[in-house]
Amino acid sequence: MPVQVFSFYIFDRHTECVYTKLWIAPPPALPPSSSSPASDLAAPASASHATGGGSGANGLLSAAAAATAASRRASDDAKLIFGTVFSLRNMARKLGGDDDAFISYRTAQYKLHYYETPSNLRFAMLTEPGAPGMRNVLHQIYINLWVEYVVKNPLSPVEHKGGEGVRNEMFEMGLDKFVRGLM
Amino acid sequence: MPNVSSAGRTIKHKNEGVLALIIINKAGGLIYNRTFAEGLNQLNTNDYLVLAGTFHGVHAITARLNPLKAHQGATPAGTRPEPPSGLEVLETENFRMQCFNTQTGIKFLLFTDTLQTGVNEGTMRRVYELYADYVMKNPFYQLEMPVRCDMFDRKLNSYIREINNSR
Repeated sequence: MPVQVFSFYIFDRHTECVYTKLWIAPPPALPPSSSSPASDLAAPASASHATGGGSGANGLLSAAAAATAASRRASDDAKLIFGTVFSLRNMARKLGGDDDAFISYRTAQYKLHYYETPSNLRFAMLTEPGAPGMRNVLHQIYINLWVEYVVKNPLSPVEHKGGEGVRNEMFEMGLDKFVRGLM
Repeated sequence: MPNVSSAGRTIKHKNEGVLALIIINKAGGLIYNRTFAEGLNQLNTNDYLVLAGTFHGVHAITARLNPLKAHQGATPAGTRPEPPSGLEVLETENFRMQCFNTQTGIKFLLFTDTLQTGVNEGTMRRVYELYADYVMKNPFYQLEMPVRCDMFDRKLNSYIREINNSR
C-alpha cells in the first residue's frame, strides 16, 4: 500500500536538528502577488522586513530574501516539531510509566511517526493521516542507513553539528530510495 | 497468552478499556479529571494541571505544523477554508489518547488501552453531549471553572462502564 510521505527529520541528543528532508515541493516563499517589483513597492510592510527598508525592490534581492525566509521557516518547523515530540514523549512517560514510548499522533491533515534510539537520537516522519504505523520504517532507517553510512563512516564527526557528516551521498541516496519505495 | 503473566493474574493496563477522561477549557486550564480504570500512572493535582497546560500548547502547535498548508489552493469564493485540526489521536506503547476539540475550544481527552478500537469520534460526541446536558445546563455551574456536577459524574460513569463491559 503506497504511503504519501511529506517530510523526515533527525534530531541529535543535543536537541539539534541534524537532518531534514522534504518530499513535497517547498512552499512558495512569498504570495504570488508580491513577487513583482511593482507590488513590492505597493506593499512594503510585508516584504521590507527582510530586504532592509524595502529600498531594494529588485528581483535579485527579493529572491535572496525569499530564500532566507524559506530556510528560516524550515528551521522554525524543525524546532516546532522537536518541541512537540519532546513534550508528547514526556507526557507519555509521565502517564504510561517510564518504559512507555510515544509512537505517533494524527491530525486530520497529517500523521507524525516517532522513534527514539537508546542514545536519544530522535527520528520523526510526517505522512498522510491514513498511514499505518511507520515505527519499523524509522527503525530500518536507523539500522540500515544511519548506522551503516553515518556511524560507520570514518570521515564523519562524532557530533553532527549543523548536520555535518549526515549529508553524505550514500545516506541521502539510500534514504530517498527507501522512502520513494514506500510511496 | 499475552494478557496473563506467569503468576496467573492479568497484567494491568492491557485490557481495561477506557482509562480516564480529562477536560481542558479554552484557556488551557484543567476543569475535569476522572480515572475509570487502572492503567495510567496516578499523578498529583499539580502534575495534571501542568499536563493540561502543556497539552493545550502542543495542540496549538500541531495544528500549525500541517506540511500541506502552503499547497492548498484558494478556496472557492463564499466558502471558508477548512480550519486546521490539531492532534486527534495519540498513540504510545501503553495507551492511546483520543482528543476531541469542540467549536468553542474545549478539549476532551479520553485515554484508552492500546487495543481499544471501539472508542471513536462517536464516543467523544456522546461524552460532549453528556457535558452539554449535565454541566452546561446546570444553573450552578460557572463557565471555565472546574466541573463539580453529580449528575455528570453519574451519567459519565454509567456510560463508560457500558463501554468497558461490552468488550
